[in-house]
Amino acid sequence: MTAVSPLVARPRELSAVPDTERLTIKNLNFYYGSHQALKNVSLPIYSHRVTAFIGPSGCGKSTLLRVLNRMYDLYPGMRAEGEVAFDGEDILSPRTDLNLLRARVGMVFQKPTPFPMSIYDNIAFSIGLYERLSDADMNDRVEEALRAAALWDEVKDKLQMNGQSLSGGQQQRLCIARTVAVRPEVILLDEPCSALDPLSTARIEELIHDLRKRYTICIVTHNLQQAVRVSDYTAFMYLGELVEFGTTTHIFSAPDQPRTQDYITGRFG
Amino acid sequence: MERQRTLARFRRSDKIFRNLTFVAAILVLSLLGAVAVSLVTGAWPAMKEFGFDFLTTESWNPVTEKFGALAPIYGTLVTSFIAMLIAVPIGLGIAIFLTESCPMPLRRPIGAAIELLAGIPSIIFGIWGLFVLAPLLQTTVQPALIALFGNIPVLSGLFAGPPYGIGVLTASLILAVMVLPFVTAVSRDVFETVPTSLKEAAYGIGCTRWEVVRNVVIPHTRVGLIGGVMLGLGRALGETMAVTFVIGNAHRISMSLLAPGTTISATIANEFTEADGDLYTSSLILLGLLLFLITMTILAGARFLLWRIDQGMKS
Repeated sequence: MTAVSPLVARPRELSAVPDTERLTIKNLNFYYGSHQALKNVSLPIYSHRVTAFIGPSGCGKSTLLRVLNRMYDLYPGMRAEGEVAFDGEDILSPRTDLNLLRARVGMVFQKPTPFPMSIYDNIAFSIGLYERLSDADMNDRVEEALRAAALWDEVKDKLQMNGQSLSGGQQQRLCIARTVAVRPEVILLDEPCSALDPLSTARIEELIHDLRKRYTICIVTHNLQQAVRVSDYTAFMYLGELVEFGTTTHIFSAPDQPRTQDYITGRFG
Repeated sequence: MERQRTLARFRRSDKIFRNLTFVAAILVLSLLGAVAVSLVTGAWPAMKEFGFDFLTTESWNPVTEKFGALAPIYGTLVTSFIAMLIAVPIGLGIAIFLTESCPMPLRRPIGAAIELLAGIPSIIFGIWGLFVLAPLLQTTVQPALIALFGNIPVLSGLFAGPPYGIGVLTASLILAVMVLPFVTAVSRDVFETVPTSLKEAAYGIGCTRWEVVRNVVIPHTRVGLIGGVMLGLGRALGETMAVTFVIGNAHRISMSLLAPGTTISATIANEFTEADGDLYTSSLILLGLLLFLITMTILAGARFLLWRIDQGMKS
């Protein structure tokens, strides 16, 4: 069978560093009360790579992302079974320090979520949760984070303005800056561009490309072109199951599973 | 042709509807104006007689017809202040618990209990205060307070004198109980408007519950919270029946919170029926006008505060 994907993956410079597993998901099952949202999912997340999760709505890709920082713990009735090893430790264990885990695994949401405070404080507050810094050091860290999120030049003259008064794309980059500022190891992006215009989307995608050098990134997206553009690996999920996982080039050019083929060519989903 | 007629009819009825709502809005304004005008005309004789001395005189003597509002103004402000001091932290605490960490099955019963508390008529709080709370305070809490703070300089003054049971502190406690459901219900409602994603974002960078509430939930809802506190304060300032029962109705300013005092609304309720003489009646109406002004000032102050916060965020 030959792949007829209309999408062309851009060539990757993957060979430079060998892939090392950062997170290892093994036999993960997830339940919302009695409804099972993830069924026996196993896959590796590689260090300093972008892994995209694709699949139709309700396939469990966001749920999987929210397991990786234990966000589901906020809600009673949700539970995960199986194992998610992060540097050899199972993060699903009840002994896991959630605050520490969430500092190591940052998350950016679908809708921009700047805190109700100034641009500067949005970042300084996040850093302040973990570190006591002098004003000068804090200024440096805020600038560093805003530069990392390609936002510095746009906001450097209005750092005291309310973060919620920025445009949608700027707000989203502020949220990325805030996540980066805490110096996480893994960044989870839950459809980070779905509320943004094409221009802002392009900027965020460029940013993901840069961030890949320093962080391990997981991105959930509905936009297949986006998955092709930004990711190194792609996981296709359907009805709570992981149908196929492989390099993005492989998934989008010659998938092994007919269901993957159907989805990426737009025959369903 | 048919369509044109229908459209014309729509336009007419829309115009009628607009005018009706306009009249309703105007009605409120004219009522407010009418209240203000009748208060001012009723209070005029007392204003002419006492002038600004009315605000600074403590004595209230119907026999010599020398009236001063200082004691009731003081009582009103102090009881309301203490009531808010107690009710706001507790109310916020309940609201935070209900929205952030209360197990689902308990949420509705506790919420319903709070709303029931708001529905209890104030006269019942008055009776309860006079027959249950006051004797209880008299025999237990007040002697303990007197003994505890007896040797501490400033505090011994605040908790001095015999334990009457009734007095400023008792009135403040009753007011706190009455204000609590307002503060709680409003804060709970505004806390529920905080987008889940915003809270998750805060948890997502590793905030604890307290950090999320302190830095995200409360700042996000500050306008609504101040509104809720003001609603409660408005009730505390104007509350009449319950306070009249337990405050002791003495036109005196005493440093001790255990001593009897009075408030503006308690004075009016107590003395209106026996006010003989135009000056007496007029003085009571002037008291009412003062309460009106105090409430307006505080509401305006709250607006100004919110405006300042907004400006501060923008610049």
